[in-house]
Amino acid sequence: MEDYKFLFKIVLVGNAGVGKTCLVRRFTQGLFPPGQGATIGVDFMIKTVEVEGEKIKLQIWDTAGQERFRSITQSYYRSAHALILVYDISCQPTFDCLPDWLREIQEYANIKVLKILVGNKTDRHDREIPTEVGHYFAKQHEMYFLETSAKEAENVERLFYEIAAELIDQARSKDGSSAATTAAQRQTDSGSIGLGFSSLSAKAAQSNCCSGLGLGNNDNASGTVGSNNTSQGG
Amino acid sequence: MDFQKGISDWDVSTSEKVDEALVRLAQEEELANARLETLLTHQCQIEAKMSGIGRAMATLLAVESDSKNLNAQIVNTAKLAESVSAKVRRLDLARCRASECQQRVHDLIDLQLCSQGVVKAISDGEEDYEKGAAHIARFLAMDQQLLQRTADDVQGSFTSVSDAVRTLEEATEKMQTQISRRFDEAVDNDDLASVERFFKIYPLVGCHGIGIEKFSNYICKKLSVKAQKELRNALDIAKAERRLQLAYADRLTAILENFARVVEVNQPIIEACYGVASPYLLDMIKILQRECDLEVKNLLLEFNKNRQIQYRIQQIKESTQRSSGSGSASSNIQSLGHYRKPSGGSVDKLNPKEIDAIIAEITVMHSRVELYFRFMRRRVQANAEACMTEKEAQKEILDSYNNIIIKSDLSRQMQEILSTYLLFERYFMEESVLKAIALDTFEAGQTCSSMVDDVFFILRKSIRRSFSTQSINGTCAVINNAASSLDGDFVNALKTPLKNGYPSGYIDLAQAYNAIQTTLQQGKLQSSDADRGRANFLVQLNNADISTEYIETLWQTMEQEIAGTFPNMSSVERQLLDSCLTELKNVRDALKATVDFGMQQLRSSAIKPRLNPWVDQFLNYSHYLTEEELAKYEAGETFVQFLIVQLDGLLTTFKSSLSPRNYDALVSILATEVTLRLERAIKKSTFNRLGGLVLDQEVRALGTYLTGATSWSVRDKMTRLSQIATLLNLEKVSELSEYWNPESSNDMPSWRLTPNEIRTILTLRTDFRMEDIKRLQL
Ligand SMILES: Nc1nc2c(ncn2[C@@H]2O[C@H](COP(=O)(O)OP(=O)(O)O)[C@@H](O)[C@H]2O)c(=O)[nH]1
Ligand SMILES: [Mg+2]
Repeated sequence: MEDYKFLFKIVLVGNAGVGKTCLVRRFTQGLFPPGQGATIGVDFMIKTVEVEGEKIKLQIWDTAGQERFRSITQSYYRSAHALILVYDISCQPTFDCLPDWLREIQEYANIKVLKILVGNKTDRHDREIPTEVGHYFAKQHEMYFLETSAKEAENVERLFYEIAAELIDQARSKDGSSAATTAAQRQTDSGSIGLGFSSLSAKAAQSNCCSGLGLGNNDNASGTVGSNNTSQGG
Repeated sequence: MDFQKGISDWDVSTSEKVDEALVRLAQEEELANARLETLLTHQCQIEAKMSGIGRAMATLLAVESDSKNLNAQIVNTAKLAESVSAKVRRLDLARCRASECQQRVHDLIDLQLCSQGVVKAISDGEEDYEKGAAHIARFLAMDQQLLQRTADDVQGSFTSVSDAVRTLEEATEKMQTQISRRFDEAVDNDDLASVERFFKIYPLVGCHGIGIEKFSNYICKKLSVKAQKELRNALDIAKAERRLQLAYADRLTAILENFARVVEVNQPIIEACYGVASPYLLDMIKILQRECDLEVKNLLLEFNKNRQIQYRIQQIKESTQRSSGSGSASSNIQSLGHYRKPSGGSVDKLNPKEIDAIIAEITVMHSRVELYFRFMRRRVQANAEACMTEKEAQKEILDSYNNIIIKSDLSRQMQEILSTYLLFERYFMEESVLKAIALDTFEAGQTCSSMVDDVFFILRKSIRRSFSTQSINGTCAVINNAASSLDGDFVNALKTPLKNGYPSGYIDLAQAYNAIQTTLQQGKLQSSDADRGRANFLVQLNNADISTEYIETLWQTMEQEIAGTFPNMSSVERQLLDSCLTELKNVRDALKATVDFGMQQLRSSAIKPRLNPWVDQFLNYSHYLTEEELAKYEAGETFVQFLIVQLDGLLTTFKSSLSPRNYDALVSILATEVTLRLERAIKKSTFNRLGGLVLDQEVRALGTYLTGATSWSVRDKMTRLSQIATLLNLEKVSELSEYWNPESSNDMPSWRLTPNEIRTILTLRTDFRMEDIKRLQL
């Protein structure tokens, strides 16, 4: 058996060119790839991380944004534990497409899936989407929110570690307490999670430091989100 | 030391021991002697060696002085060699210059010959382009700069050099324009022989690029005409070949084969005539690919139109929207499970059978293109190996071909068509699964109904078909869709009747089966009809159980077949497929949960309500018996006999209608419930000695019955009850110590009762004194 406690699947979606592949490369290989071609279908990468003393295997699925790959990428939503929805803060159209992406997620993903909205390319100076706008949109749709730069490696580690920590909490609370959570419970509580996560990102913006992942902040909320866990014994 | 130590350990306390020790000592002495002897025999050899070494020493001294001499000589020789090699290098240089000089002389002689020859060759009378071009090629092969310098060097004395150069330069230019003109003429006249002739001459006059381009364009034009004509007649051709359903796949195959053939035929010509300085083949392929893109595009337009692809996509999108529009899937499941679509069925709803053939055609198309790219890649690779010796350079060529593929419109169109395929395949799979569920039939004598076989047959068909696209991305997506169809529609169909619970009351299963068969076919299930409900409940429970095996088999066969279909997978691709297959296998967990859920339903609605009154009969019996009463009790129907008859009756109704594993699980549940309930009844009763004796016998009989009823072990479930019976069957309280001691518990497993429980149970025996019980050391 492989040496890990949990296996989580994370799927990145969003328009072509917003930087999904760069985010994944930055996180898994620690580099910003120069001029690689557009992703075809799906790409697949694995990284094992350690969170709260547990070895976690992250399966990261990078998808192609173009319409013609949709029927391939859709098929991966169902088994995802977390979905990262990415837009480009310097490109309004990528933000305008978010509702379409949410509709897809609604249709194909597990209702309990963890959703994270990511505004990428914060290093660029021609910003078109103010942070508050992204933040507000995320809050409205009960998503976590974070702004990143794959180029400057800003908030990239944090993004994935935060997701891993949240998914661990979900898996644990499912093991421990009763797994059944009513929809009503989920709804009221996930609002506060959204706040929790985005307040973290606000904090990160102030301190600009990734070492304190603020893992504790989600404790109260975690029990109610539930998950379609895939904890594999190691 | 060793020896002494050995002795000191010996036991010499008795005279026999001393004797023994003596004998051993004598033996050891003998051994020691023998060893000494062998050592002594070596003395001679060692001495001989010593003297040998002494002699060798003398020789070594001589060697030392010799080697010093040698060293000095070597140093000398090295000096000499260095001065010689300097001379050799100078000689070499001189030779080089001489041969260069010779080359120039040769060039000059050839120059004269060429300049005379070329004029003659291209003069109007002769038109020997091959000869003229050969002269020019010879001229172009000369170092033009060197030629210019030579001309400068010999200026004055020989003007003929620069004259010749000028003549040849002019001839080259003339030749180039003439060949181009003749080539164009040949194209206009559709004179293939001349086209090929001039195609071979182009590189001789230094126009490689133009040659490749003009020739490729000519080929493209020819192929385009051919393709257009064939496309117009696509359906007629297909009809003649009786392959109407593959009409467009066949046309596509023909197009791709044409391009492949052009490359195959011309690769050796290009390598021979155009040389290997540069990958000219790739230049040709680049031009051909543009034409190929265009032809395929036209074909697909025709395909889309004729096969009504857009209309069908629209139909599919509408029908899925309708189904998800009428409330989320889960709410429908609550009501009638598998009837996700409005049962009336609208007129224009697409029948999955209608697209079955189109799906097959698309997979053929997609696989042909994959094969085409693979073929071309091999050609380019062969060409690269012929042109370049370095691996790096070869890889560069291959990379640039891959880049052509990625950027080609053909790739993009294949991505589009794969997307259509996936949409159709998913629709086909989901609809067929729903249909199999809706048409579920049950045959008496079987434990499962038809939908399990049907559903897995459909999934296997779809997944297999995805292999034939030759696309890993496509295969992965279909596997994912299969998993979600199983996890969604199928599991829900199994779960829905289980959720409604097992209708209570007595059942006549034989009748119920007939009933359910007809109702399932009619597509309506009346939950008021308890018998049908019960039969359906059990069938779905069995279906869920058997499906866990089917899914394992499906997973294994698909894994094997994938390995056969994609023998050259990269490791990333393999991981991708593995991960998707694992997801498929994980549906097993959902099925197991469904079985568990159904079992719990059975426990609460079929087992417990029936069981409890039977077990509670125990309370109606007296457990305070005299010998006489005991005899009378045993002569009549005892409690345990009554209970076993009832249990047996209950199990018999299930035995033939549950799958073996489900039946075993049911017995296991029954055992748990019986023992729990009986324990409670016992605790409400009081016993005398004979009452305890009877209880112990009855518990044993019950255990024997339950053990015999299943292949699983229920012994463990009986342990507590057996121990309670043992306690109540004690002669006297103090006897307990014989049983309590855990070390001699061969017969009995460790105690499942706490000391407090033991004391409480002992108090049920009215003849045991409280003080004795309290005094027990537990
Ligand atoms: N300035 C900047 N450019 C980025 C960043 N991330 C990605 N890009 C650029 O955006 C383009 C598209 O990136 P890619 O990862 O291929 O996008 P994808 O289609 O979403 O996978 C590339 O040219 C990247 O160099 C970032 O954080 N900052
Ligand atoms: Mg990408």
